[in-house]
Amino acid sequence: MPRTLLDIFGNPFIATGVGIGAVMTVLSINVLFCIWFERKVSAWIQRRLGPMEVGPQGTLQTVADMVKLLGKQLLTPAGIDKPLYHLAPLIIFAPVVASASLLPFSKSVALSDLNIGLILVFMFGGFAVVGIFMAGWGSNNKYALLGAMRSVAQNISYEVPLLLSALSVVLMVGAQGGGQIEIGDEVIQLNGLNLSHITLAQTSGLWFIVFQPIAAVIFFIAILAETNRAPFDLPEAESELIAGFHTEYSGMRFGLFFFGEYSNMFIGAMLATVLFLGGWDGPLLPGPVWFFFKSYLLIFVMMWVRWTFPRLRFDQLMAFCWAVLTPLAIVNILVTAFALKVVNG
Amino acid sequence: MNGLTLSETDFLDYAPIGIIILMAVTFALANVVLTLMLGPSRKGKTKGMTYESGMKPIGTARKRFNIRFYLIAMVFLVFDVEVIFLYPWASTFPNIEPRSPEGLIWLGRIFFFMFTTVVAYIYGFRKGIFRFD
Repeated sequence: MPRTLLDIFGNPFIATGVGIGAVMTVLSINVLFCIWFERKVSAWIQRRLGPMEVGPQGTLQTVADMVKLLGKQLLTPAGIDKPLYHLAPLIIFAPVVASASLLPFSKSVALSDLNIGLILVFMFGGFAVVGIFMAGWGSNNKYALLGAMRSVAQNISYEVPLLLSALSVVLMVGAQGGGQIEIGDEVIQLNGLNLSHITLAQTSGLWFIVFQPIAAVIFFIAILAETNRAPFDLPEAESELIAGFHTEYSGMRFGLFFFGEYSNMFIGAMLATVLFLGGWDGPLLPGPVWFFFKSYLLIFVMMWVRWTFPRLRFDQLMAFCWAVLTPLAIVNILVTAFALKVVNG
Repeated sequence: MNGLTLSETDFLDYAPIGIIILMAVTFALANVVLTLMLGPSRKGKTKGMTYESGMKPIGTARKRFNIRFYLIAMVFLVFDVEVIFLYPWASTFPNIEPRSPEGLIWLGRIFFFMFTTVVAYIYGFRKGIFRFD
């Protein structure tokens, strides 16, 4: 079992401090890297060079952008709903940081090792919907409101296939090796809701993407929709809604939305890695290297998808979720449950 | 408390998450305050106006919107409650012996439980909830 920081340091205050430092550093670096990476990937796909001026290959462009954002004026438009408008960036930003601390990136060390890690990650993911709607409603702007309405409808719709496809993985975990796994002289009863156990269940056999290819594809599509990425980026379709729910936000308030968005993408990729790609499992290289390599591979696929496919229409988006993904996910669970109890002796 | 010490409870497992949330909120507030101090603060009637592509704003944004969003939210509730019950089932179901009568009974029960949701889903589908036009 992974040792938590509490086991290593003994003192809860030091452990928490180190954990927070690590999470914030990783998330900040990830955002700086991802924005640069996205611009480079898009440039590569469109046969451009992308950012080249600031730093070698434009690597420091995002840092320059951050400094620029800090120097901007924080506009507070007229007619806003003050508590909602000011709270929205915090409600989007804080849960993202919390859920990043739950994911098991290594075999030996974890920031936290909870029995209900999977549920907590989904719970923190659910906060984004609240924040987005608060931003849209509080701004008193028609573009923001329309963007928020679309975003809420899209996010809650795609949450159903997301949860259902993750459910089939939870079913698989308990069935690996009779629900028990031996590590050294320790026998662990596998718990399908513990993220470390989900990874452990895949180390003894094949990764779950082999057993659950349909669930993996559904999960990936749902992650794209949950993070409002193209081709599902209707909430901020710039040609119709300016910037969607954060139209009225400027300066670092907008920066917080941006931070939350890119961190959400990162967390979605990490969660998909844990559930379907075996987490830190891999030959030769140490666990964290594999974990982050797989996560960034998924992020690259997300960017590839974004710069390749055109945006869907809203009715196509909803029809795709409710008429294709949800029934498929339900059938997938039923087939999995049936196979576990009747076919697999 | 019923005689438990702090280390016997799950409190120490979950407390870091609460502290991380507090720290994240502090970080976010610090950023906003920093922009307030560093950035300019010009004010004006037109500058503070709601953005509407350069037009003068027409009315407020507190408007009525399509009922379909409400229907989607209701269907979501049905499925969300179903999923809440399915997760505990999914984490204990694999522990039951395969091909045993008990396992088959639980399989049948969960099939029936999901069938009740599927009925609601089919009703919504026939009603045209998912047809945006």
